[in-house]
Amino acid sequence: MIGYYISLAMRSLRGTPILSALMIAAIAVGVGASMTVLTLNYMMSQNALAHKDDVLYAVQLDSWDPNDAYNRGGRGNEMPWQLTYRDAEALLRSDIPTRQVAMHRFGFTVTMEDSEVRPFVAETRVTTRDFFPMFDVPMLYGNIWNKDADTAPVQTVVLSKAINEKLFGGENSVGKTVELNGEPFTVAGVIDYWNPSPKVYDLNNSPFSDSEEIYIPFGLHRKFEIYSWGNTNGWNSPDSGIQGYEGHLLSESVWIQFWVELDNDTQKQEYENLLSGYIRQQKEQGRFQRPLKFALTHPSEWLVLNEVLRDDNRVLGWASLAFLLVCVVNAVALLLAKFLRKAPEAGVRRALGASRNAIFIQHLIESSCIGVLGGLIGIGFALLGLSGIRMLSMGQIDQIASMDWLMMLAAVGLAILASLLAGLYPAWRISRTNPSIYLKTQ
Amino acid sequence: MFELKPMLSALWRNKVSALLIALQLALTLAIVSNATAIVQDRLTSMARPTGMDVDNIIAITFMPVPKDYDMAGAVRADLDMMRSMPGVVDASVTNQIPVSGSGSASSFYLEPNAQIGDIDGNYYQTDPHFINTLGLNLIAGRNFRDDEMHVIGSNESFIGSVIIVTQQFADAAFPEGDALGKFLYHGSKDNPMEIIGIVERHLGAWPSWSLAGNVVFHPLLVEGNHKRYLVRTEPGQRDAIFKQLEDKLAERDPQRVIHLETLAENLTSTQVSDNIMVKVLSAVMTLLTFIVALGIVGLTIFWINQRAKQIGVRRALGATRANISRYFLVENSIIAGTGLVLGTAGALIINQLMVSEFSQPALPLSMLAVCAILLLTVSLAAALMPAMRAANISPAMATRSV
Repeated sequence: MIGYYISLAMRSLRGTPILSALMIAAIAVGVGASMTVLTLNYMMSQNALAHKDDVLYAVQLDSWDPNDAYNRGGRGNEMPWQLTYRDAEALLRSDIPTRQVAMHRFGFTVTMEDSEVRPFVAETRVTTRDFFPMFDVPMLYGNIWNKDADTAPVQTVVLSKAINEKLFGGENSVGKTVELNGEPFTVAGVIDYWNPSPKVYDLNNSPFSDSEEIYIPFGLHRKFEIYSWGNTNGWNSPDSGIQGYEGHLLSESVWIQFWVELDNDTQKQEYENLLSGYIRQQKEQGRFQRPLKFALTHPSEWLVLNEVLRDDNRVLGWASLAFLLVCVVNAVALLLAKFLRKAPEAGVRRALGASRNAIFIQHLIESSCIGVLGGLIGIGFALLGLSGIRMLSMGQIDQIASMDWLMMLAAVGLAILASLLAGLYPAWRISRTNPSIYLKTQ
Repeated sequence: MFELKPMLSALWRNKVSALLIALQLALTLAIVSNATAIVQDRLTSMARPTGMDVDNIIAITFMPVPKDYDMAGAVRADLDMMRSMPGVVDASVTNQIPVSGSGSASSFYLEPNAQIGDIDGNYYQTDPHFINTLGLNLIAGRNFRDDEMHVIGSNESFIGSVIIVTQQFADAAFPEGDALGKFLYHGSKDNPMEIIGIVERHLGAWPSWSLAGNVVFHPLLVEGNHKRYLVRTEPGQRDAIFKQLEDKLAERDPQRVIHLETLAENLTSTQVSDNIMVKVLSAVMTLLTFIVALGIVGLTIFWINQRAKQIGVRRALGATRANISRYFLVENSIIAGTGLVLGTAGALIINQLMVSEFSQPALPLSMLAVCAILLLTVSLAAALMPAMRAANISPAMATRSV
């Protein structure tokens, strides 16, 4: 029966080509526009750490200015997003968390002796070794550096797959040497392709930038006088009398991202006790003069707190859905016109014994045929729209401005839903027509 | 004379279709007017003058490879070389690139020890050539002198004794307009810094910052592990100089990594999100209006076909062509008018939400009125073609049975 209805529907669509084309175009454009925007919003709302969401926490301590709460453009929870170096160093000494990561973004010049590769600057992450297991970074060759490199200056490096290809042609480079800022570093390991977007572990700069190219241990700060290449925020200048780089490490500037893995509630409770104990102890030394406050935030909440999906994206999302709504209303009006014009045909079918339900379903199927066609063309429009956005965004969000098969399926689903919605009233209206009128005039 | 009564009763028979058209127009007005408000707001912010000769400036970042690198010496040599290149107007050193989205900011105070008069400003560490290099307009006081320039190590803290500020920053700190010659204090330091010059405008690092345009310049070179230059070229020479610079800098000292970009690129990339908003919303508005217009055309044609016989009868009874066309146009105006009244209410409600929930701009009534009139015109234009066709239906139709 359905097959017959579909063939009836196709015949009917061909019967009124202009009206049908108009309806299909309306649905296609509506679906195309909304899927363009919804795909972006969907990709921006991804959480690469969803599978570990309930055990991972971003750590925040309120070490800010006693006179002024932390505020960055009205976002967040009035606490600094990052920690001071001295607090990070102190927290790292705890053995409560299963894993803990202190890290920030940096850049090194990379040179190779006797190599064709021209010197370049590599995006670098300075981090403790737990970074790799905590965020499930896949290893391709070798291993992570040893624990002692997190506190002592050990010149060792983990390379990304792409950099390993650039420097060593993709072969196992473990044990080989690269020069970073002119100093030799031994390759400890190479990670496989890994590029979570949004970059949930560090949202300070663009949340959609690529993950770093090389990774070096946290124990190298003093040796290389490493400053953050991400975001550094301070509220007072150090007047402790300690000058130079050591003064920066002891200052109240926040620039270290800190994450912990806590497997259960007792562990979390213990860690919370540790944090409040630490803040109380620091208060005695004259630091942390604001009311005692800290936060442990799951990755999913962290993304919301950081407003990765911005107000603008939400506005565009609603605008595109409203656009689709207009397209649906448009299709309702056109379908109504079309079905009413075919009322005599429906009258004859009714007279020949088709039930009201059969007429209703037949017309709904006709509208969903419009939906399928509109949806397929709509995918094309959405791909076009996304490539337009990629062009406008100058490569800033390339990775997220693309459709996966799920979104394509969603596009067709949305189109069918929209056309069913559009067809509901017209199909009902036509199924109520009185056959006798049409039989008389014929 | 507009045959309102029969028209209304005919509309009543087609009430669902008429209502659907009105609804489309209402939604369209609500969306288009709010989108227009947002687009206009973004266009205004993108068109804000930067104060700089953006189109002719090249920005260079370099990072030396060796650890014990003579940064001050390299900067001097590079700048001398670049300034002597034909086609280069001037070059200067800076800690950050303007309008690039990354920069430094600090609080400035009217009294020492960080208590009174806290004004936030975006600051640059640069040299006496920055005014000429950026093409800024010095409107009061004087430029830095070469002997006011200081070179310090990356871990030293040093506060110079002179600064140049933008007019906007000067007015924020000294509303009476007598900033020149006054003193400011940096953070919790108690060295006074004298305002020796005021430039008309410099948009700073973050064009969308609420205080964008509050900018302070220090004559200072901090020897970090990387440095930046700005180079201004003669108009039209930028791209040619860009290519030469890459080679010349590498040639002068190959022991470093050099990255060149244009200031224009930087400006466009910090405006990406505004630009996307403008383009996407404009596309939505255009498509929406187009779709609604097509819908009106389709439906009017349908109605006319449906009523072909009645039109024939009216023509046979003496109605002129103009009468028939006018009938459909007036009918369309009634529907559109209803829709636009509904849409006005909808637009205002949605705008409330936009302002309170999504921090978007308020919708001025004049803009709403303009959008409504525009949509009314579109609706009439869409009905015009079918209405003219209706007028061509011959009175003979009245005599046919179907």
